[in-house]
Amino acid sequence: MTRKQKRLSIIAGALGFLGAATALTFYALGQKTSYFYMPADIAEAAVPPGQRVRLGGLVEDGSVMRGQGSRVTFAVADGENRVPVVYVGLLPDLFREGQGVVTEGTFDAGGTFVADSVLAKHDENYMPKEVADSLKEQGVWQHAQE
Amino acid sequence: MTETGHFALVLAFALSLVQVALPLLGARTGDARLMAVGRPVAITCFAMTALAFAALVSAYMLSDFSVVNVFENSHSQKPMLYKITGTWGNHEGSMLLWVLILTLFGALVAAFGRNLPATLQATVLSVQGMVGVAFFLFILMTSNPFARLSPAPIEGRDLNPILQDVGLAIHPPLLYLGYVGFSICFSFAVAALIEGRIDAAWARWVRPWTLVAWIFLTGGIAMGSFWAYYELGWGGFWFWDPVENASFMPWLAGTALLHSAIVMEKRGALKIWTLLLSILAFSLSLLGTFLVRSGVLTSVHAFASDPSRGVFILAILVFFIGGALALFAWRAQALAPGGLFHPISREGALVLNNLFLSTATATVLVGTLYPLAIEAVTGDKISVGEPFFNLTFGPVFAVLLVAVPFGPLLAWKRGDVLAVAQRLSVAFALAALAGILALLFLDKNAALAALGVGLAFWLIFGALTDLAMRAGIGKVAPKAALRRLMGLPRSAHGTALAHLGLGLSTLGVIAVVTLQTETILTMKPGETVDVAGYTLRFEALNPHRGPNYTEDQGVFPVFDADGSQIATIISSKRLYTARRMPTTEAGIETLILSQLYVSLGDETDDGGIVVRIWWKPLVTLIWLGALVMMIGGTLSLADRRLRVGAPARPKKAGHAAATT
Amino acid sequence: MMVFWLILALLTIAASLAVLLPLARPPRSHAPAAAHDLEVYRDQLAEIGRDRQRGLIGESEAEEARAEIGRRMIKLEATRIAAAPRTSMLVPIVTACSVLGVPLLSWGVYTAIGSPDLPAQPLAQRLEKDPRDNTLDELVARAESHIRANPQDGRGWNVLAPIYLRMNRSGDAAVAYRNAIRLLGSDPARETGLGEALFAEAGGIVTKEAADAFRRALAAGGDINPKARFYLATAQAQDGRLEDAITALTSLQNDLPQSSPWRGVIGEALARAQAELGTPAPVAGGPSRDDVEAAAQMNAEDRAAMIETMVASLDQRLRDNPADAEGWRRLVRSYSVLGRKDDARQALERGLKALGPESEAGQELRDFAGTLGLGAVE
Repeated sequence: MTRKQKRLSIIAGALGFLGAATALTFYALGQKTSYFYMPADIAEAAVPPGQRVRLGGLVEDGSVMRGQGSRVTFAVADGENRVPVVYVGLLPDLFREGQGVVTEGTFDAGGTFVADSVLAKHDENYMPKEVADSLKEQGVWQHAQE
Repeated sequence: MTETGHFALVLAFALSLVQVALPLLGARTGDARLMAVGRPVAITCFAMTALAFAALVSAYMLSDFSVVNVFENSHSQKPMLYKITGTWGNHEGSMLLWVLILTLFGALVAAFGRNLPATLQATVLSVQGMVGVAFFLFILMTSNPFARLSPAPIEGRDLNPILQDVGLAIHPPLLYLGYVGFSICFSFAVAALIEGRIDAAWARWVRPWTLVAWIFLTGGIAMGSFWAYYELGWGGFWFWDPVENASFMPWLAGTALLHSAIVMEKRGALKIWTLLLSILAFSLSLLGTFLVRSGVLTSVHAFASDPSRGVFILAILVFFIGGALALFAWRAQALAPGGLFHPISREGALVLNNLFLSTATATVLVGTLYPLAIEAVTGDKISVGEPFFNLTFGPVFAVLLVAVPFGPLLAWKRGDVLAVAQRLSVAFALAALAGILALLFLDKNAALAALGVGLAFWLIFGALTDLAMRAGIGKVAPKAALRRLMGLPRSAHGTALAHLGLGLSTLGVIAVVTLQTETILTMKPGETVDVAGYTLRFEALNPHRGPNYTEDQGVFPVFDADGSQIATIISSKRLYTARRMPTTEAGIETLILSQLYVSLGDETDDGGIVVRIWWKPLVTLIWLGALVMMIGGTLSLADRRLRVGAPARPKKAGHAAATT
Repeated sequence: MMVFWLILALLTIAASLAVLLPLARPPRSHAPAAAHDLEVYRDQLAEIGRDRQRGLIGESEAEEARAEIGRRMIKLEATRIAAAPRTSMLVPIVTACSVLGVPLLSWGVYTAIGSPDLPAQPLAQRLEKDPRDNTLDELVARAESHIRANPQDGRGWNVLAPIYLRMNRSGDAAVAYRNAIRLLGSDPARETGLGEALFAEAGGIVTKEAADAFRRALAAGGDINPKARFYLATAQAQDGRLEDAITALTSLQNDLPQSSPWRGVIGEALARAQAELGTPAPVAGGPSRDDVEAAAQMNAEDRAAMIETMVASLDQRLRDNPADAEGWRRLVRSYSVLGRKDDARQALERGLKALGPESEAGQELRDFAGTLGLGAVE
């Protein structure tokens, strides 16, 4: 190989690597990101079972039921719609009925949301931004502040 | 005292304006007197900022609630340590810490930069002053920590309990020392562009500053990760949270800069790339500051959000990044190009390292900014989390890790991959053995765990091979080899330790990710549970009262396989009375390098309590590895070649000043 | 105060000197830039020598490296051209601006944004001054710092608890009552106070915890304790057990002497409960289905009435003591929740007037009202 060929092959190698990394990134952006939904969005957009999404809203009053061990069921609501959620694990410190919450997981065939992580607001002033924005749009924010 | 501090802050702002104007003008016109202004002004500017900071700290210590910032973030009942650390546990105070460190670095360049050409030093100080001016303005206009209240309230609102932790005492200052440390590299790069002159010597002058910033940033990130691990009660050490990414990106770029500066110093190549990296490392630090401070993101780190602040920081960001890149585009062509080199060589390996590191930085950047971009464009809210980074950052970084041991063993100019591979064969065999042992003894997730363990040991043994080869172990008598090992330049030890530390951290991450176990159950007093060969008994839930909180402490004696008690884990649920905010204080017991991590959940109606117990194998290695990396960096910093003396000053005054 | 200005002057002088001294001194010569580069290259040469000695690199490698550094040094020689210092019109102007700028700018900016007339107010110092000069808040803070140092002082808690209650710090009041009960033992006054604190903390609902406290207060015997009985009756009304509430209130009324100040309140509550029940005293034959439904509906109204009285009393209290930002916020919110937008707006206006429309508290109140959908008032 001549010097020039060598240099070309190196440049080609580097470009190939960058190309692969870019392709991987785009693939991952398409596959590995999860959309954020409010219960009202869920009613409109049919989310296929098994697809990872984030579900946010307020924990419906009176909906929290503790089951066997650390299994908890509750409903996430936004004033009009509600989505039942099942979660196994420790609930965060600030998880309370009537408070903002963001859960991540998938829907099962029956339309129940199986969450593998539950995030509650961090302190009294903190409401997950996604939830706050959506609630404001829907005009339930004032209610949420009570 | 408070108002004295306020005035000192204003003085520091005025001084930083002088620091921008006079030295730069002096350097451009060749006026030695004007250039000489830079050093005392930079040092005085730091002294004034330090005075302002001390005033704020004292206001916190004395609970002076006539200061709005103290009223909003402190409480008279808080322990003294948290009163002090509370100073930078909020937006205004942390920005003051930010400029304190910025001016500190300016003062350091002024005090220890005697080996720099006078014009370069003056220009660097001037650019550093520009950053200072921007942030002083930001503080004075939007985030003044010295705003007062009259009449003063009698009690403060208390600091967010999550932030009341020793971790907060160390994490932000370390992180800021790292972030802001890259401002020096940025100033050097912009100064080189302004001067239109850059050569191998420049790289040597920048390297110690890069190393200092890198060491602190490594420490800051590790500390932040450790803090999140034990304070948030989820047992995770890294969440790919945008704020974490914001500190990780400058680290990746800084690591690339550290390596490319070596090539530039040794071979005079990669000049323009190194300049660009210097600019990018600090730009990413600024981006991090913007993401955290603007309220674009909500997280524990976003103390307060105020749109005017966001816009201001965005303006600073655009001005410095845009300005520097424009200057780069305009002047970089005029710089003498660097030399070419053979691809299979030390410098070739370092270029490969840079390629991987910058690609890794790019994936993190995309993952961090993509959700913001999508929300701005389509209004859809998406979250980019661990799965994304596992798929993109993971493979890129894994390939980089495989390549790491080769680099230090390759010779400059022309290397021989086969010879290097031969020398690494022992390391490879040992790493493979470790992987196979892992495969034999552990059955869960075996293939991935075995590969990961092999990779980690490959790094560890690779680093050791590097030292062994340099010392000539196996070639010369053991005594002579030992003498040679001790006599190696400190930077050689530094490199090996840093790579070894990387291996240790990798081992910790791999072990925790693939081998940790999690047990969730409801326990009543007296019940026991077996975890990873240990037995935990839930003894009781005892109420306890702290200085500004009340808590229920769950007591868990731990027994080993023989049934003798080896430790007692106390895990608690705390309620901070002032803000009426509950937190979980995890109970953690370190058993050699691994940890048992116990977190309490809700009490059940039948008198039990939900308990979550993790077994975290080798988890401490994650942070010990970072510590080893920092020690490696410090050794490199202590190497004699980074302490080049200043040339003798010409005898005759006046004329010499004219030569540039 | 003099000392303060003196310090400011000294700081200004120090800062100005940092600018002036180097300008006043004759310029110190400095080596040309190339000399600094040369120093680095010399050091690199020495390093190659050391590496060669240690046997880290071979002889040919060392030679090559030396040659490369040599080439750099030669190149450097070429750049050693002395450039004449350029003179610029800018120099004197910028220098003068800088020298004058430090004192002028700093004093100008500071007088604009600083508060030089506000002395520092360390908490310990504020608490040490003559108690007669203390405000109520400061007195309470003194008591608090005392109780913090002696958390086992039951009498201290006992004194502090009712003060908290009067200051609307119901959460603190509940804690203080609990501590007093723990340390001094249960007595009707403390239990009643605890119940009241819990009632306020729950936003005007007699919770189970509060009701338990009232019950303990009554069980301890002593005098009639109209407060505890009234709140227990309120609890019944809130649970929808209106008949029980009426019975309890009537018996309480009968037990009280004619002069009791409680009679008025009880009478009102009784009237309200009866009004909500519709016809007083159900006739035999049991209520029809319609009656039940009506009762259920009125139950909600009953609650509304409850809230109305509470709001009215809050309103009254704010008239007496208008410097209560939290109170105003609650009042505005209450009216807004009740759907009485006009009253809410009026309350907002009054609150702004009381707190000062430009004050921070006023600003906060306005922002808060904004979140409730109450526009700015002129």
